[in-house]
Amino acid sequence: MAAQTPDPAPEGEPQERHGWKWALNAPALAVLILAASGPLIIVAVYSFLSPGNMGGVAWDFSLDGWFKVFWTRDIFDPENVSWNWGNLTVFWRTVWLSIQTTVICAVLGFPTAWFIATRPPHRRALWLFLITIPFWTNLLIRTFAIQELIRGTGLLNTVMMGLGIVNEPVQMLYSDFAILLGMAYVFLPLMVLPLYAAMDKLDFRLVEAGYDLYASRFRVLWHVILPLVKPGFVAGSILVFIPSIGAYVTPRVLGGGRTMMLGNLIGLQFGQGRNWPLGAALSMLLLIIVMIALIAYLRTVNRDDGGRRG
Amino acid sequence: MTQEIEIAGLSKVFGQGASAFRALTDINLSIDTGEFFTLLGPSGCGKTTLLRMIAGFEHPTGGTLKIAGEEMAGKGPNARPVNTVFQSYALFPHMTVAQNIGFGLKMLGKSRSEVDTTVAEMLRLVRMEPMADRKPSEISGGQQQRVALARALAPRPRVLLLDEPLSALDLKLRKEMQSELKRLQTETGITFVFVTHDQEEALTMSDRIAVMSAGRILQLGTPHDIYHAPAERFVADFIGDTNFLDLPVTAISGDVATLTLPGGQSAEARLPAGYLPVIGETVTAVVRPEQAVLGEPGSGMLSGTVASSVFFGTDTHLHLTLSDGQDFILRRQNTADLPVPQPGTPVGITLGAGTLRVLRS
Repeated sequence: MAAQTPDPAPEGEPQERHGWKWALNAPALAVLILAASGPLIIVAVYSFLSPGNMGGVAWDFSLDGWFKVFWTRDIFDPENVSWNWGNLTVFWRTVWLSIQTTVICAVLGFPTAWFIATRPPHRRALWLFLITIPFWTNLLIRTFAIQELIRGTGLLNTVMMGLGIVNEPVQMLYSDFAILLGMAYVFLPLMVLPLYAAMDKLDFRLVEAGYDLYASRFRVLWHVILPLVKPGFVAGSILVFIPSIGAYVTPRVLGGGRTMMLGNLIGLQFGQGRNWPLGAALSMLLLIIVMIALIAYLRTVNRDDGGRRG
Repeated sequence: MTQEIEIAGLSKVFGQGASAFRALTDINLSIDTGEFFTLLGPSGCGKTTLLRMIAGFEHPTGGTLKIAGEEMAGKGPNARPVNTVFQSYALFPHMTVAQNIGFGLKMLGKSRSEVDTTVAEMLRLVRMEPMADRKPSEISGGQQQRVALARALAPRPRVLLLDEPLSALDLKLRKEMQSELKRLQTETGITFVFVTHDQEEALTMSDRIAVMSAGRILQLGTPHDIYHAPAERFVADFIGDTNFLDLPVTAISGDVATLTLPGGQSAEARLPAGYLPVIGETVTAVVRPEQAVLGEPGSGMLSGTVASSVFFGTDTHLHLTLSDGQDFILRRQNTADLPVPQPGTPVGITLGAGTLRVLRS
């Protein structure tokens, strides 16, 4: 209907008459460049340099950092290259513990969020408030508290022995179990909150419609509730998985030196290891793992949505 | 005729103690198989609570509820042979139209081919075949309404419960869906229990209507009965326009009372069942505006003057003041050459035989 004009811009969006308005974006751009891209670029560059003698980097291009991520050379025979199983084990443990943490948080978080979402509206705020209370205390303190609970002479063992469930203290500290417990505890609210947000928007009449159409409670959960709160699961999983995979404090305190995660390995390279390029390469690898995992995850969960839309 | 739903002494109290709210009191009702039954009343009268109890979403505090002769206490919505069309439609947003319609059948464990056949049949029944693969968010409100109907009809319930399903539609669409619903009910032969606050909807579609107020059924009858023989003031007032006249009783014979009209003439009026006023008592009688006929001053049974008139296209509402000061509305069919009386014009009013009725007080 509109007359032919040389300007193809859609209606309601005036031409860029005010070029200076771009300047208003400058603070945001500066933050993005300096705070997000800047450090990342430094880490990426460092990963291709040589380690300095006293830490830091020497400005010589080298692929050694990346090489050492996966492989190791025999000290006496540099031609003899083998897989760096130490590092590979840490990668695998990191990914596996993070997946387990995410699953545990999802399994515990769903009923918790459901409980809150089904309270009378004026009580929900209180429950949400209670969920966020742990955030008020320093992560390190809370992690030490867990250590105190599960150590050999800790509360849990004392109670179990007192009740005669076990005869001698169970070794729980400094194990994958301890790390898992700590991470699930720390990250659980990050799953509960997005799940609650999704459930809060859930139309409970849909649940009634499900019951009305002969679905059992379980099938209503499976066919109606879960698909509808999926965005909450997706957001919660991302929020739990990403910090899990980069966790430092929890595996350090609860895993001791024996069970390391990627975060600890990176820390080691920048500290005692004095191999910054290796640490930088490991950091980049962490980033790549997270990106691949995210892309794979989002593709999987969005698969059934994509097809039908025309 | 067999009885599909039998309700006896049903009551529902929400909450406890001082804050308890009596939503339903002593409901007795039986609905026949294949009937289009309407629960009519203003919001808060308990009609939706009653519907939700039939569906199984609410549990009665007292009384019994049988569907197809079987006591329903302790049975959840998924164990009852009834399906609901929700006011908000409550279509599953993550499923296509076809998946929505097939949901009930799938949950009943029907085979895939049986589900597909029935879904196709239902899509045809509600004329939604081209929309089968759309999501509910991609179709219009009227189309969502049809899908909700198809979804509830697909499992072939014994009873279809409809909770104000047309209230979200605009007037034109609502009229269309009214005849559509009636068609579906006739074609499927399923018992419909329809909840509405719209008296016109109730009158045009129902086989029988239960008029509800404050948790009770005030009157139960055919649309004709409810309209022409309201038993209580609430019913007469809620359905259609009505003239209420306070008149003294001069004689009673059987179920007919003789009343003295303003101006001194006598008129006979039918009494509601089980109500016997005393001679000399003033009762409330009703007459519908279209049942009174305008005449020359001095003719007819009542006399008054025109106060104002409102033109409605097909008819004109004349607001009259009777000789004793009571208001009276008269509805007159419009014809091209009929002049509208000016305010202040004296007129006579004739009431058709049997149109005046006494209300229970």
